[in-house]
Amino acid sequence: MDKNTYDAIVVGTGVSGGWAAKELTEKGLKTLVLDRGPMVKHGDYPTAMKAPWELPYADQPTQEDIRRWPKHTRPSFYGITQSTKHWFVDDLDNPYEETKPFDWFRGYHVGGRSLMWGRQSYRLSDLDLEANGKEGVGVDWPIRYADLAPWYDYVEHFIGVSGSVEHLAQLPDGDFLPPMELNCVEKEFAGRLSDKFSRKLIIGRTANLSGPLKHDKSPQRATCQYRNLCMRGCPFGAYFSSNSSTLPSAERTGNMTIVPNSIVYEMIYDNAKGKATGVRVLDAETGKQTEYFAKVIFLCASTFGTTHILLNSTSSRFPNGFGNDSGELGHNVMDHLFGIGVSASVEGHEDRYYSGRRPNGFYIPRYRNVGSDKRSYLRGFGYQGSASRQNWSRLVDEPLLGDDLKRAAEEPGPWRLGMSGFGEMLPSHSNYVTLDHNHKDKYGLPVLNFNVAHGDNENRMKKDILDDAMEMMTAAGYRDVRSYITPANVGAAIHEMGTARMGRDPKTSVLNGWNQMHACNNVFITDGSFMASSACQNPSLTYMAMTARAAKYAVDELKRGNI
Amino acid sequence: MNRREWLKCVSALAMGAVAAPSLLAAFDAHAASQAPGFTPQFFTRPQVDLITAVVDIILPRSSTPGAVDAGVPSFIDQMFKAVYTPAEQERYQAALASFDRAGGKPFLQLDAAQRKALVTKLHGEAIAGKKGKNPAPAADFVLMTKKLAMMGFFLSQPGCTEVLQYAAVPGAYHADIPLSQAGNGKAWAVETVLTL
Repeated sequence: MDKNTYDAIVVGTGVSGGWAAKELTEKGLKTLVLDRGPMVKHGDYPTAMKAPWELPYADQPTQEDIRRWPKHTRPSFYGITQSTKHWFVDDLDNPYEETKPFDWFRGYHVGGRSLMWGRQSYRLSDLDLEANGKEGVGVDWPIRYADLAPWYDYVEHFIGVSGSVEHLAQLPDGDFLPPMELNCVEKEFAGRLSDKFSRKLIIGRTANLSGPLKHDKSPQRATCQYRNLCMRGCPFGAYFSSNSSTLPSAERTGNMTIVPNSIVYEMIYDNAKGKATGVRVLDAETGKQTEYFAKVIFLCASTFGTTHILLNSTSSRFPNGFGNDSGELGHNVMDHLFGIGVSASVEGHEDRYYSGRRPNGFYIPRYRNVGSDKRSYLRGFGYQGSASRQNWSRLVDEPLLGDDLKRAAEEPGPWRLGMSGFGEMLPSHSNYVTLDHNHKDKYGLPVLNFNVAHGDNENRMKKDILDDAMEMMTAAGYRDVRSYITPANVGAAIHEMGTARMGRDPKTSVLNGWNQMHACNNVFITDGSFMASSACQNPSLTYMAMTARAAKYAVDELKRGNI
Repeated sequence: MNRREWLKCVSALAMGAVAAPSLLAAFDAHAASQAPGFTPQFFTRPQVDLITAVVDIILPRSSTPGAVDAGVPSFIDQMFKAVYTPAEQERYQAALASFDRAGGKPFLQLDAAQRKALVTKLHGEAIAGKKGKNPAPAADFVLMTKKLAMMGFFLSQPGCTEVLQYAAVPGAYHADIPLSQAGNGKAWAVETVLTL
């Protein structure tokens, strides 16, 4: 038992797990870090330097790939390409059930989805954190922006977030690296939105190093080379991933023991102590079972990963799942409204172009239900988009062949602008996941079954997302304004959250305001499951800030002898 | 970080990544298939000869390499072997057969001028047709082959680097510059996928 005993255990190595590992080890805790997938060291990115012509099949999935990834190749999914498919789990070996359809993107390896994430990094504001309480939706967040702000500063400084200072109450500014630039059409569109709607269009805030980090703790990270191939893994370490950023820091402390291929399937609870004493692990390759023990446990296995572990950990004390006294565990699943967008042709600017491939776009921050604006639904949405010159594919339907076709393809095409919405989804007890004991995976573990759908508020908002985008592009004077709706289920925004929400009352929430389990004070959950509402901003930055905050609190409480 | 430091950084790390062996084997097979005189995996040799003749009309060699130089016939063969569905395979096969009958005698028995005229005529019919509706099979063959030729060519090394321009590691981003100052002023190569 001694050799399997640590001060802390961290389950998962994505954005949250990496941060937990860094913070706990830097504070001197001997920390065991577990991930269910194989090791990926920074630099282990086999396709990162491949040119387009080195990728088979025009980088498209083959029929064999579609057979292996029937879910990950649905229309709303991306990533099953020759250059990135190795980062996504095989759907045949990793099944799930859908009482209602749900798009669940998963990557099981050290670094998790921090390797493939979209890198957009926005703060929540008090508009977001006060909304549940004011409107009587779900439970009130037990924290406010003032609790979070210093931790946003802390993580932004460390990971490097590029962005512009805008003084927007609904989208607080941060400790930014220089903003990337908008191109000429994006600037023109920004001006027209400002003139006609008094709405802002800003450059996206992204965890890519637009300049050197403001600290010297990550010598393995260089500035962005503008290849826009981030999802393959960046050998320059130019975007934030656990692999490039937090795990190397944790490693350098000498306090981290990382064990890949470790599927945590159950929490160990000691009735006498009233505490979790450890976790039970299956080796993903051999099936060997091991128990590990620690004083404090951080669950960062992703929203549904963590939920699965807790639901699968039943005992006389927790017959309905670990820490589930409230009955809210697995409920209140949220994601962002996704897949609704508009594009248009923009005349002129034919003598202007760009060089380099910017791994970022523009952002239109939320303006609905802000200030005096009032809609028939609650909350709001933001847009993400970009403008670019069309490429050779525009010539397919043109009457050009031979030399004429080649010459036309050499010319950059007309400009086209596109954007799509990311909308807030309300928490609801009726949106939930359960364990399906009739369906076991190859390890003999019950699979998750999803029962999640959008409600009336979401459906009203979807209409506004489309109508507003059409209206803005039309008012800007653009032509050929076309909407597109990607067939997407809940989950498609890959912003799943909410299944172990935080709140003030143990009767209605799983965690307190420190991400600490109400019913078991040495368990902390800092992945997306803690979210009490979804806001409409990309959530990863908030997970990081809350992880760092929770780690500080956990270590202080350990020192005080309270856990 | 300069290039030397970067190489040091990368080579210090073991390349034992997830699924890397099978992945890299696929890339090697891909590279091998680019060689001239490839062995078709999906089409018959006479079909490959016909496809080769058509892509050579769509994107011929000029002052820069053409689709045949860039290995496009092999690319098309691979796409049908591995990527397209049985329905897409059947559609293309039927369209190819129809196309081969459209010139009065087998396409490869036509002279160069007749071949070009037939491809041009059917291409015109295909793009004049209704949007969102597949053209008649012979014209459909020309349009599908045009898409395949463009995709294969503009993702090939000659297509990306000699007709378009490609920067593997741009190193910087300039959002708004005169076209004449954007590299050599040609369109940047970007990865794009077309559906058949």
